[in-house]
Amino acid sequence: MKSAFTKTKAIASTVTAMAALPLILTGCGASSPAANGPVSELSVVDYYNNEPDKTIIGDTLAACGTQSGVTIKRETVPGKSLIAKVLQQASSKTLPDVLMLDNPDLQQIAGTGALAPLTDFKISTENYPQGILSAGTYKDKVYGLAPTVNTIALFYNKDLLTTAGVTPPKTWDELKAAAAKLTSGGQYGLAFDANATYEGTWQFLPFMWSNGGDEKNIATTETTEALQLWTDLVKSGSVSSSALNWTQADVKDQFVAGKAAMMVNGPWQIPTLDKESALHYGVVNIPVKDSSKTAVGPLGGEVWTVPQTGNKAKQAKAAEIVACMNSDVNQLAMAKARNTIPSKSTLAAQFASENPKLASFTELVKTARARTGQLGEDWPDQATKIFTAIQNALTDKASPADALKQAQQG
Amino acid sequence: MTTNTQTDTVAAATSRRNRPGPLKAVHGQWGTRQWGTTALAILFLAVMLFPVYWMINASLQPNGTTLQTSWLPLSPDFTGYATAISQQGRNLGTSLVVALGSVVFSLAVAAPAAYALAYFKVRGAGVVLFAILISQMIPGIVVANALYTAYNDLGLLNSIPGLILADSSHGIPFAILIIRAFMNNMPASVIEAAKVDGAGHLRAFWSIVLPLSRNALITAGLFTFLFTWSDFLFALTLTTTDDVRPVTLGIFQYMGAYVNDWSSVMATAVLASIPAIILLLAAQKYVAAGTTGGAVK
Amino acid sequence: MSATVQSRLHLAVTETENDGGPRRFGYRSRERVYQWLFLAPAVAYLVLFFGYPVVKNVAMSFQEYTTGTFYTGEAPWVGFANYVTVMSSSLFSTSLINTALFTAGSIAGQFILGLGLAVFFKRKFPLNGILRSLLLLPWLLPLIVSSAVWRWILDKDSGALNNFLESLGIISTGIPWLTSTSLALAAVVGVNIWIGIPFNVTVLYGGLQDIPDELYEAASLDGATGWRAFRHVTWPMLRPVVSVVLVLGVVYTLKVLDIILGLTNGGPANSTQTIATQSYALSFQNFKFGEGAAMGNILVLISLVFAVLYLRVNRRAVDE
Repeated sequence: MKSAFTKTKAIASTVTAMAALPLILTGCGASSPAANGPVSELSVVDYYNNEPDKTIIGDTLAACGTQSGVTIKRETVPGKSLIAKVLQQASSKTLPDVLMLDNPDLQQIAGTGALAPLTDFKISTENYPQGILSAGTYKDKVYGLAPTVNTIALFYNKDLLTTAGVTPPKTWDELKAAAAKLTSGGQYGLAFDANATYEGTWQFLPFMWSNGGDEKNIATTETTEALQLWTDLVKSGSVSSSALNWTQADVKDQFVAGKAAMMVNGPWQIPTLDKESALHYGVVNIPVKDSSKTAVGPLGGEVWTVPQTGNKAKQAKAAEIVACMNSDVNQLAMAKARNTIPSKSTLAAQFASENPKLASFTELVKTARARTGQLGEDWPDQATKIFTAIQNALTDKASPADALKQAQQG
Repeated sequence: MTTNTQTDTVAAATSRRNRPGPLKAVHGQWGTRQWGTTALAILFLAVMLFPVYWMINASLQPNGTTLQTSWLPLSPDFTGYATAISQQGRNLGTSLVVALGSVVFSLAVAAPAAYALAYFKVRGAGVVLFAILISQMIPGIVVANALYTAYNDLGLLNSIPGLILADSSHGIPFAILIIRAFMNNMPASVIEAAKVDGAGHLRAFWSIVLPLSRNALITAGLFTFLFTWSDFLFALTLTTTDDVRPVTLGIFQYMGAYVNDWSSVMATAVLASIPAIILLLAAQKYVAAGTTGGAVK
Repeated sequence: MSATVQSRLHLAVTETENDGGPRRFGYRSRERVYQWLFLAPAVAYLVLFFGYPVVKNVAMSFQEYTTGTFYTGEAPWVGFANYVTVMSSSLFSTSLINTALFTAGSIAGQFILGLGLAVFFKRKFPLNGILRSLLLLPWLLPLIVSSAVWRWILDKDSGALNNFLESLGIISTGIPWLTSTSLALAAVVGVNIWIGIPFNVTVLYGGLQDIPDELYEAASLDGATGWRAFRHVTWPMLRPVVSVVLVLGVVYTLKVLDIILGLTNGGPANSTQTIATQSYALSFQNFKFGEGAAMGNILVLISLVFAVLYLRVNRRAVDE
């Protein structure tokens, strides 16, 4: 018995020692900042992992790198995994020199202290619309700038609307009437994404914001009216209840297949839509409640940031890359190639005239609002409340007013 | 059933070799009853594998979805396959190497451990079993995060051995549990007889136990292969470049933040299944019946 | 060989707990070393790869772990606060019930169908091996692909399942498999059963093949065939494999995340939200890592109950 006990103790101490081994190794890993020698290589992490974005961004990065005299070492990760990667790199102190973030995540990451303010590097933030700047600002300092942005609008199938004798709707009543008229057989009038993720929230925001709804408190009449619109559309059968599980890609598939005459979607779908020769589509603003309201879209797009790597020389070079990515020339080129909108308001007129298909979006982007503009790091919780309320209302578990109230209370 | 009854029954019954097969006079000639069973099996499989067929159908559609398709892909579009073949060949190779390496490593570590847990009344066997079960309950992301830091320091990122080691974390605990469960049925008398004949632990293990546990090893190896083949988390976490990229991660090349190229995704999945299913077919052939029965004789 | 020598060797090999005294101390401790050498690589691997994550995960659940913590390393100790927050949220009871239903339904379906198919495949018929291997195809598909394909099959308006049922005349309009709060969980359980059958069939088949045919012959000589043979020969011999399959099945099913996320994201209206999906959402959507870890550990605790049961059953079986 005695030998067994001492053996167990020996085992226990070995196990503890071995468990400590990875901890010790982690401690050894902290790298010291390099000397202020010439910088030859910068690391970049982004989520443009699929074509054509991958090549477009890659070429632009390489060109900016050459301009600054550095080579770019780039890592692309799938979109959903970017934040996990960033957190892993933050904890192992291996953040890249240039980091791309989706704009609603910027405030979260900036709040950790992992990013350097761009104003430290004298990067100009002139001529950016307020929405874009507020997305990239944390505690009054700008941490990220987005060269291209996007928002959502209403696409409609020209042929189907002409056949039904319907004009593209401008108000909510017109929308309801048009959708009802366009619903027949296997065809629904309208398709949108109401799923249980931030995409559902994203698609709901223009309806909520244009009506005066406020994301800080969603249990208000304005937001209730917007949710009532959605509920009415689904209940009346103008929108399929499958919308509860659709992504924006599914919505596009429905539209392309002719199963929905109108859809709420963004400009990135345009290449796919253009590939269908039989499909003639048009774009208008998302309808507002009445003529007194203006359309307000949510701001999409990615920002480029400079993480705190402790290496002053590299950070300065990284800032040059960020500034280069945001130059007028690159904004116009990337926006045109990727079917998004250049951020700077001074470029809007030129861009709209050169790319008529994106004209409506260019207009909308001027007034687009950042999701994290008011709530900052508290946005994810509120976004969750919004799609929870949408799901409860659309599945008839609660009336829109009650659903919003319950969700707001948490 | 205790081992005594087993050996008695074995001794009492006739040798397996002399027992005729069911209703077949010559090997390879099957009766209608057998073909009827095959038809039933094909029906089961058709129902079970319909989603796989649907995936193939989707891979042959121009936009990669089955929204507008009929039941059969009457006008197949092979662009997805062209993309997949040109871009994923290397990733497929990486996946195969990592999966096979993981099988070898996992079995090498797990089989002796399972044997020890099944036969030696080692103090702390219960603790080890408990630890193995706990390890299966840990969410993968927790392990991946810890490994990233360690691998980064050790320089094991973007390496095939690193991936093999990491992916074995799927296989080793599972293999130990399965092989041990199979080994519980093995008659201890065979091993003891070998020991009495003077074989050391290692000899007994290598020459007696391993061949007896063939079914266990194949089943465990099979699932280690499958776990590793379909692993995405470690592939994502422990690689930062295109050099070493298993096909599960390669598929995500076609899934961007905004737009997905489903036909390439589906085509890659179809292509990736082919070498794997061939390997599995080969392995399954070896899961034979009644190995213990014959050996005891 | 004399009985005394045989019994001594038996003692040496099986190492019973009643040590006969220090007479053969050197031999016995060398024996132990050999035996531990068999176990050592596995133990080393488990400690290295799982030791730190387990400890870290438990510690995280007692800390206020935010995105900032990843960068700064600061995580104030908050004791059980995370557990209290998580368990008192309105979503917790829903997730718990859904988890229980999801796990029970999946295990029951997978095991019964798996065992049935394993017994079926034990018969000898042409193409047996090929068909059995093809059964593993669902496991070869990446989950992202399986969930996408199932989403299309289960779509209300254009899904293959509804089209099939409509063509048979069983239903007139599409069933909202994934968008109805009453059906979504059943649909997700169905898909999980589909994924789990190959695992159950293959392991149980391997276990069935290990049962010597002589036992069946002896049983049939005693007049026990078919169902009685199953009860008296197959089931007792299969018990160790069955208990491993069930316990592992429960542990894996409790952890299921990707298939639910791929099919419904926990919706509609949280009707497919389980503790695993909640844990993921808390950590990676709301960035509340401490709460996410607490949820995850609650799951581990539930799994632990099953693990303890398994070890109990196992110990009894070994002692028999």
